[in-house]
Amino acid sequence: MQPDTKAVPIDKCRHCGSEAPVDVHVCPRCDRLMTLGRLGDYFTFFGLRRRLVLDVQELDQRYRALSRLFHPDYFHNAPPAERLASLERASYLNDAHRTLRDPAARLEYLLKLEGFAPKQSREAASAVPQGLLEEVFALNEELEAVEELRESGVPAEAVAARLDEARRPVEATLEAHERRLLELAQAHDASLESGDAEGRRETLGLLETLLLERTYLTNLLAAVRRHEAGAGSART
Amino acid sequence: MSRVVGIDLGTTNSLVAVRRDGATTVIPDESGDRLLPSVVSIGESGAIHVGREAQRRLLSDAARSVYSVKRFMGRGIEDARGEEQWLPFKLGGDPGSVIRVRLGERTFTPPEISSFILRELKRRAEAFFAREGDIDPEVSAAVITVPAYFNDAQRTATRDAGRLAGLEVLRIVNEPTAACLAYGLDRRRQGVVAVYDLGGGTFDISILRIEDGVFQVLATNGNTHLGGDDFDRLLVEMVARDTGIDPAAAPEAVQAIRKAVIQAKLDLSEFEETRIEIDSLPGRAGPYSRRLTRDEFEAIIGPVVARTLEPCRKALADAGLDPGQVDEAVLVGGSTRVPLVRREVERLFGRAPHTDLNPDEVVAIGAAVQADILVSGRREMLLLDVTPLSLGIETMGGVVSKIILRNSTIPASGGEMFTTFVDNQTAVDIHILQGEREMASDNRSLGRFKLRGIPPMPAGLPRIQVRFQIDANGILSVSARELRTGIAQTIEVKPSYGLTDEEVERMLIESFEHAQEDVEARMLIDARNEAETIIAATEKALRRPEFGAIAAADLDPKELVLIHAALADLKQSMGGGDRYAIQVKAAALNQVTRHLAEVMMNRTVQAALAGRAAADVAAEGR
Repeated sequence: MQPDTKAVPIDKCRHCGSEAPVDVHVCPRCDRLMTLGRLGDYFTFFGLRRRLVLDVQELDQRYRALSRLFHPDYFHNAPPAERLASLERASYLNDAHRTLRDPAARLEYLLKLEGFAPKQSREAASAVPQGLLEEVFALNEELEAVEELRESGVPAEAVAARLDEARRPVEATLEAHERRLLELAQAHDASLESGDAEGRRETLGLLETLLLERTYLTNLLAAVRRHEAGAGSART
Repeated sequence: MSRVVGIDLGTTNSLVAVRRDGATTVIPDESGDRLLPSVVSIGESGAIHVGREAQRRLLSDAARSVYSVKRFMGRGIEDARGEEQWLPFKLGGDPGSVIRVRLGERTFTPPEISSFILRELKRRAEAFFAREGDIDPEVSAAVITVPAYFNDAQRTATRDAGRLAGLEVLRIVNEPTAACLAYGLDRRRQGVVAVYDLGGGTFDISILRIEDGVFQVLATNGNTHLGGDDFDRLLVEMVARDTGIDPAAAPEAVQAIRKAVIQAKLDLSEFEETRIEIDSLPGRAGPYSRRLTRDEFEAIIGPVVARTLEPCRKALADAGLDPGQVDEAVLVGGSTRVPLVRREVERLFGRAPHTDLNPDEVVAIGAAVQADILVSGRREMLLLDVTPLSLGIETMGGVVSKIILRNSTIPASGGEMFTTFVDNQTAVDIHILQGEREMASDNRSLGRFKLRGIPPMPAGLPRIQVRFQIDANGILSVSARELRTGIAQTIEVKPSYGLTDEEVERMLIESFEHAQEDVEARMLIDARNEAETIIAATEKALRRPEFGAIAAADLDPKELVLIHAALADLKQSMGGGDRYAIQVKAAALNQVTRHLAEVMMNRTVQAALAGRAAADVAAEGR
């Protein structure tokens, strides 16, 4: 069973009572903006299937077209209910566009839609993912060694060079993760097309782990950069 | 149907424009002046003067006059530290609440003072439409521009000012975005545009992408306390050091210095050197005069200009672009006439910036275009702007939890779930902040509110969904609902640096008591305005470095004596209240300077021809 081939949820026009699927923005009978229902999602809003590989230019184009359809600028003289519908729809459109445009945010959103990745607490987010344990320990040791070096008065250039060295394996892992994420995203989309629901869920599970690791790696690199900035300021 | 106008409510000057039948006009006053100096002065009788007249009163009655009030919109007294001593007006108010400006016996909030400026623009526009023969010249609604980097409190203060002036504010639009709209109007533009907007008191950088008639802001950054005023203050400080003037003891003298250094600043955009000249200063026998070269000026203002570059880099980074990916750079704001500013912008973006539209007028034109879009509902063009600062709430330990990130396209919304800490708790306090810092205390407090009416339940059980909505004006509203019971919550936001609705209502009523204007007083003001234009033009000519050579070659010595006499005569009559005397003496000065004007004009034409000839030769040589 595929979630996105389920019957599309239906919304009712607040004005004439006509029914329309949630991805229809304008009432087919009375031509008014539909009040934003809460049953749809960012993908249906854009008229897209739940694919992870998106053509950003096409997304932007749809975004502009939809903006033209219900931006508050064009409902200035409309009755209050219509104005509110425009504001809500335009807000939702902007939020949806921002989320779908960024691959990481898109993946995170899809995982949430599909029941993966429950909202994490701060502690869970800062715990070292299992697959990265070894690498993280190695880096921490290296960072401590660098800190000692710096305190012992080694020239700042040498410290910076060590940090550069320490960063390289993390960067390589991150790059490998990016490649793997893309492969899995493509695999996900293929399962979606072929109707392989089981394969799709399996891929989503892998993506969830990988996304967590990727976030962790990005934070780790930021930490190394802070160390480097420290080395830079030690020079002056 | 009454008119809808676009208003640029500037730090130094304000303008009003209208778009009709596809043409946009910046509306002049009766004497043809399109800029209204954003200066307000309160007379002894309580009469409110705005514009040129208020500017003159800065020199005679400084303590009753206020300029650059925009710098204090949506701010508190603690934000004005360090510049207070140079201001002729006194500031007050409690820290953490709305700043107050004391003028004579009365105190005003910045929105009230701004409303006097808006009222004058409204009057100016209505007089213009009446002259044009409109049956209903009334102006009831406006689009007003603000710096892109204005926070919620500053935007709300601007909207309050509009209400106080009797204007329905249809939309608050960001100045660089409005400018971009004006630029993109006549051409079918596509691509990435960087708008660098350095005004009197604020700096903005906005990066936009234009495609299919949609003007989408990708990122914005800036500083709402950085502008040409800072150039002026540095020069005033220099002259004050030179002369030993104590700013606290001689506010009028500071204003005389300020006027002279502003003139010198303007001169240096055109010439390599000028003189700062002040007729008289307290404790000084003769006039003050000092040579100032462009190089010296640039050394003085260099650090201020440098402070605009970091926001540019941040905006580019947020837009995910390198400077090389910017297709066009556009300059907005009077301070971008300064050659050093132009050079720095050119260096940063690696291309010569556009200057084809008047940097003083382009924002007002854009505002008028946006007003036209709103009223007509025509869909060829669309502005998609962003919120400049992240919005968040204070959580445990004074840390900010961000709900809407900066540079999110507006309208935008965000939500957060709250619950209770003790059993049967029926209210929760929420503190809303704007800014990028981690700790609540480092960000701008927008307001606090109490969620009331939570049904009594064991601690942690209620699920209160709070929704934050930023509308197309960049202004926030908050709503809340308890999800278990579906009960909507009452929210009273107490704005930190804003006015409550009741305060605005009360001010509106008070303002009617002061609304009557004297026709004769207005005519006197118009006469002074015209005279001032002639004086400024004459003095500018006399100050030109090459004037000595010109006078020796082309002017009769007697002529020069006559010019100086007529100039002194007119200046003397300016102080009095006799409108006819001013008009007669202005005409006299105009008469005796006619020959001088011709000589100057010929020189300019010859110089231009010589320049072109040289360029032709160079082109042939290539």
